[in-house]
Amino acid sequence: MRVPIVITGLGMVTPLGNHPREILHRIENGPTAFAPPSRFDGAPFACPLCAEIRDFQPHAQGVGAKLLRLMNRDAQLAVAAAQLALADAGIKPGEAYAPEDIGLFGATGLAGLPLTEVIPLVKASTGPDGQFNAGRFGTEGLRAVSPILSFKILSNMPLCFVSICANLQGPNAIYTPWEGQGAQAVEAGLRALAGGEAGCVLVGGCDVKTHELAFLSLEQQGLFVSWQKHRTGLVPGEGAIFLVLETAGRAARRGARVYAQISGYSLRTQPPDTSRAATFSEIFQELNISSSALTAVVSAENDDGTTGDAEQQALAGEKITVATVCRPKKKTGDLFAAAAGLQVGLAAWLAARDGGRVLANCFGHGSEQAAFILEQP
Amino acid sequence: MKHRVVITGLGLCTPLGRNVNEYWENLLAGRSGISRIAGFDTRSLPVQIGGEVKNFQPDDLRKEFRGAAAEQDRKIWLGLDAAASALADAQLPRDRLQAAPLFVGVSLETFCLADVTLMAQATESTRELVRQMTQLKAHRRLQTPLDRLAQILGDHYGFNRGRYTNCSACAAGAQVVGDAFRRLRDGTAMVAVAGAADSTLNPLAFGGFSLLQILSTENDRPATACRPFDATRQGTVLAEGAAFLVLETLTHAQQRGARIYAEVLGYGSSLDAYRVTDPEPNGRGAALSMSRAIADAGLQPDDIHGINAHGTGTPKNDVAETLAIKQTLGARAGQIPVTANKSMTGHTIATSGAMEAVASALTLCSRKIPPTINLTHPDPRCDLDYIPEGWRHFAGQTVLSNSFGFGGQNATLIFRQFNA
Repeated sequence: MRVPIVITGLGMVTPLGNHPREILHRIENGPTAFAPPSRFDGAPFACPLCAEIRDFQPHAQGVGAKLLRLMNRDAQLAVAAAQLALADAGIKPGEAYAPEDIGLFGATGLAGLPLTEVIPLVKASTGPDGQFNAGRFGTEGLRAVSPILSFKILSNMPLCFVSICANLQGPNAIYTPWEGQGAQAVEAGLRALAGGEAGCVLVGGCDVKTHELAFLSLEQQGLFVSWQKHRTGLVPGEGAIFLVLETAGRAARRGARVYAQISGYSLRTQPPDTSRAATFSEIFQELNISSSALTAVVSAENDDGTTGDAEQQALAGEKITVATVCRPKKKTGDLFAAAAGLQVGLAAWLAARDGGRVLANCFGHGSEQAAFILEQP
Repeated sequence: MKHRVVITGLGLCTPLGRNVNEYWENLLAGRSGISRIAGFDTRSLPVQIGGEVKNFQPDDLRKEFRGAAAEQDRKIWLGLDAAASALADAQLPRDRLQAAPLFVGVSLETFCLADVTLMAQATESTRELVRQMTQLKAHRRLQTPLDRLAQILGDHYGFNRGRYTNCSACAAGAQVVGDAFRRLRDGTAMVAVAGAADSTLNPLAFGGFSLLQILSTENDRPATACRPFDATRQGTVLAEGAAFLVLETLTHAQQRGARIYAEVLGYGSSLDAYRVTDPEPNGRGAALSMSRAIADAGLQPDDIHGINAHGTGTPKNDVAETLAIKQTLGARAGQIPVTANKSMTGHTIATSGAMEAVASALTLCSRKIPPTINLTHPDPRCDLDYIPEGWRHFAGQTVLSNSFGFGGQNATLIFRQFNA
């Protein structure tokens, strides 16, 4: 890439912890974050587990109670992760960068709410015949819910809360709803920096798949098929990740600590008639890493048996040798819209810790697939 | 090297018509697309009016998009209709689409009402609920993922160089055009397709918005209910629709002899960082978005000759936007014609930015700018030239189009009359 772009801040709120060192330690040596869901009865679902953040304190982020009331859990996690990232990078809007010079590009997942927030509306709107009753909806249903319910369903809200809480006013966009769109948000941030639209950007995403509605939707989307057939599969998780990106020049001028440079990236669409392995191979070819040695790979492998196999096949096909393989999803679950941020962020940490070149694979549900190369500048 | 970027295909599905000519004729004539909602029972709701796409039966589309036949989310059908029209209008050879990125704007997810009702009843027994809902998955979706439209279009037409689904609320339709423009300008692609689709005219979405107290409740006077910049304005009116644009580098368009509607010249976006419920009252974020777009276009504020306003008809937006325009254009602001299309179409949320991009392109190629209707009581705080009397000849070279989203996301596009 013509304009060197570096990662100078990592903000992670995950089921394995809130610091990349802690998260990597758990991924490499520790137990998983998987447990039966604590917020609903998971027994009827083919997937009996999820990865929850157990100790998250929304009130600890310095966000006022009034604002907090408007925020769903996705937004609360997002604000926490964005604040961690900015603090980690040593950036206070208005100092090294004016608020309007800081961009925000993120991804959010399927709209998600605990059923308890929607059920009163629907129950009050149900007629004696058990069907939705338009008359009762207006007279009884809408009275049964908070007027601010829409703010918890609109997919752009989590990032708007980030902009408000952190005072970010720069260029922006929000993509949805899977891991590939999370990678698109990272790409959008890279493009904004390369094009000189912003001096600094926050990129990442947030997602919460640990409530009943998410489980129902994932089941309907066919994401629990592996659980149904093999009693193992992807485990829904929750979390938010933001990364601070700057041009190498600006980062050096303000004396920022640099984790890694993003030295390459490739985003591809997997057409319906093409295998996942073939798409991953195309990505590796575009990154020009065939027959090269990588210090580490942050793998997209989970336990559903398909992504990991396709990824291994593609790596083997390109004769790529890897010293260390880190598999976040096998310990922290699938963070969907937040997963790309986690994969890239952990790769940056690994590049800083061990040196060399690190490949971050953002391979997930949906057609959009991506990978990033991180290395020491 | 920066490439020039032009618009070569337009497709619409709107409350003012399902093709470009009908829409444009109605917009110039100052006709309102707002009426009492017929698509679902609104009798118990405080708001009962909206901008519906009338007589929309997607039967032909179901035959063409076979993989989508079971889709129940209305915005998907509106989007397929508009996208198919835009591609037909551009007359692009199909093989060019494989290398074209696709940018789709959407906002609120649609929940399947029957599924949600089932959930509410079955909460006593989750096991029973899961069994029932799993059986239903063949023909129902509890929630339709927002990337579904991009997937259907992508699979059908073979868009295989990135399918982007942008959910930046009311700024989404402008942001997707901006994203497509940037790819073409920097040479990443030669052709790109951008558009948006939205329908909030279903009980859950409509009910949710009606609680936010931003909608006009003048149910007895639908045609005059949306009155941007008028002193008596009460709120906006929800509408549905879709708009798609085919964009190309000028070189690519000229090589294949394509008809060119207008040139895309600049794009900018910003965040209010103020409140999720209200725009920043001084128009700070809106002005930043406009000035970024002007700089991106390589223009000066004096080079802006017309404005397609966000103009929702809410008390707060219209004052903030007026202030932002004055702040950005300075002393000349009062001489620039400003049209608020939502006075006629209503607010199509994610679609509005893309639909108003189409109107801006049509303004430049037809040399006519549409009016702002229902503006009969001037608001002293909204003191620009909003074209209240009817459409006007447009002699300018450039149009700036604003889109400001719930939550404080702003986007501005700048278009120029095409001159080879």
